[in-house]
Amino acid sequence: MTNTIIQFNNVTKQYDNDPVVLDNVSFEIERGKFYTLLGPSGCGKTTILRLIAGFTEATSGEIYFDDKKINDIPANKRQVNTVFQDYALFPHLNVFENVAFGLRIKKMKNKEVEAKVKEALSFVNLLGYEQREIRDMSGGQRQRVAIARAIVNEPEVILLDEPLSALDLKLRYQMQGELRDLQRRLGITFIFVTHDQEEALAMSDEIFVLNKGKIQQSGTPIDIYDEPINRFVADFIGESNIVKGTMIEDFLVEFGGKRFECVDQGMNPNEPIEIVIRPEDLEITSFDSGMLKIEVTSQLFRGVHYEITGIDHDGNEWLVHSTKKAKVGDKIGLHFNPEAIHVMRFNETEEDFDRRLESYSEGEADGE
Amino acid sequence: MENKVTRNLYMIPYALWIIFFVIAPILLVVYYSFLDIEGNFSLVNYQNFFTSTYLQMTLSSFWYAFLITAISLLVAYPTALFLTRTKHKQLWLLLIIVPSWINLLLKAYAFIGIFGTYGAANNFLEFLGIGSQQILFTDFSFVFVSVYIFIPFMILPIFNALESLNPTLLDAANDLGASKWTTFRRVVFPLTIDGVKSGCQVVFIPALSLFMLTRLIAGNRVITLGTAIEQHFLVTQDWGMGSTIAVFLIIIMFVIISLTGIRKRGA
Repeated sequence: MTNTIIQFNNVTKQYDNDPVVLDNVSFEIERGKFYTLLGPSGCGKTTILRLIAGFTEATSGEIYFDDKKINDIPANKRQVNTVFQDYALFPHLNVFENVAFGLRIKKMKNKEVEAKVKEALSFVNLLGYEQREIRDMSGGQRQRVAIARAIVNEPEVILLDEPLSALDLKLRYQMQGELRDLQRRLGITFIFVTHDQEEALAMSDEIFVLNKGKIQQSGTPIDIYDEPINRFVADFIGESNIVKGTMIEDFLVEFGGKRFECVDQGMNPNEPIEIVIRPEDLEITSFDSGMLKIEVTSQLFRGVHYEITGIDHDGNEWLVHSTKKAKVGDKIGLHFNPEAIHVMRFNETEEDFDRRLESYSEGEADGE
Repeated sequence: MENKVTRNLYMIPYALWIIFFVIAPILLVVYYSFLDIEGNFSLVNYQNFFTSTYLQMTLSSFWYAFLITAISLLVAYPTALFLTRTKHKQLWLLLIIVPSWINLLLKAYAFIGIFGTYGAANNFLEFLGIGSQQILFTDFSFVFVSVYIFIPFMILPIFNALESLNPTLLDAANDLGASKWTTFRRVVFPLTIDGVKSGCQVVFIPALSLFMLTRLIAGNRVITLGTAIEQHFLVTQDWGMGSTIAVFLIIIMFVIISLTGIRKRGA
């Protein structure tokens, strides 16, 4: 038995003559991990979920579950369960019967049903709420009932469709932690859909970033945050400074009218590229010693840090997160390390990108 | 203060309506029900009601009303279900509702033409080689025409209930392993039961007191409570007995309304 549980092979989804929702998507999902499908609305992330659940059919391509093709298997015969965005709890049933719904359909004995429902409810800290009506439950509690209703069936995969989007900020943070913890305890695969990059970074083992029906990049949160493949990913995952530049040669990049040492290599000499520097990688120094010199145009106090915006003499805008204060109109210098510069090539495929990044670490190994 | 005055002003038409067209008639009916045929105060009408003639009539009224309601429901539910899944549902719904705007009497006369010995229905039966049949003045034609007349009133509340059903619930049931039929049985039907109840109310109660159709379509073979009331007021001139039946009809209506009472759900 391989570790792969779900596999998409060149899956395309198109409604009538509308533009494609999913454009020739292929990926693999491994057992027991927490996956996140991240992207703006309309990027196809919910469609992937619906394809796995069986609520919709692929226009072309194959979907495998446990090495079996499941394109034609109806939703009620698939070993996945979904937690819906609006929870979709049955309003005519109480908490107990909502959770028991799947078990009753399997014609399980009453005693067993009771034991399993109790267990599932204890997993989501809702013991004692069995007889409550759904309308008497708060948003966060409904959320937990929905999760209990999914896990009680012991599926191999749980699909979560933006389940936290209706909760307020504090509850959302709490549920993020609880969901992650729950996934670890159950040891089953979670596929979580969200448009919230912070949520994705905090919870996932693996993130798929989607845009316009294509997977832009997949990887661990750290990989995606540190090495975004293109402007879309860099922009979508956190705030970033993206500037056009030129790759002069290996380990030397030019932008903002200056040349800087970097850690990237393997591109053509003088290739036009874009560079990304995260705002927290920029440090404020004196104007004279700064590698970049900017004039501060605005400053916001964000609690943990100041968010400072400034413009360099080429007109590029720079966003800086710093615990140091600046004043609007100040001229300040910015310092950064070679590792802070992330180089993005135009139209690079994910395979090429991965190969390039791998070659860096091999290079490092050689150097040692 | 202002608000209270305006609110009381708005209440006037409603209060007048209720007093003159609801409370006063009911009181009058109750008053008449205690008068015998000579106009003396007595309980003889109530005694008469509990004789076999009237009890049988009540029973047969119930039976036909039940038949009409049940058949309407059997036709209306799938129709409503189908309507919610069509593309231009509002148009299709309108087409079903439009006939209900036409006067009942007109429709009854139309059916006399269709079901008559030389009507379209018999022509068709001849064409099929079955030969012409007595259709008019049968139980069948009575129930058929009644169902035809009441069906829009059954479809509408069920359609509305189905429309307000959250479609994600169907996905959820499906996701939890329910087949289409199980989903219907355990989710769709329980959640639209209120629509079914109000549909049954608006069909069953008027069906109890149907009287015109009993004469025109059923040829007086079916005597319902409605027919009896009409006969007592217009033919035998026994307003007391007519009122007594009306009192029972009103009581029955209230019982039915409270039995099919709609329990409030949700927020």
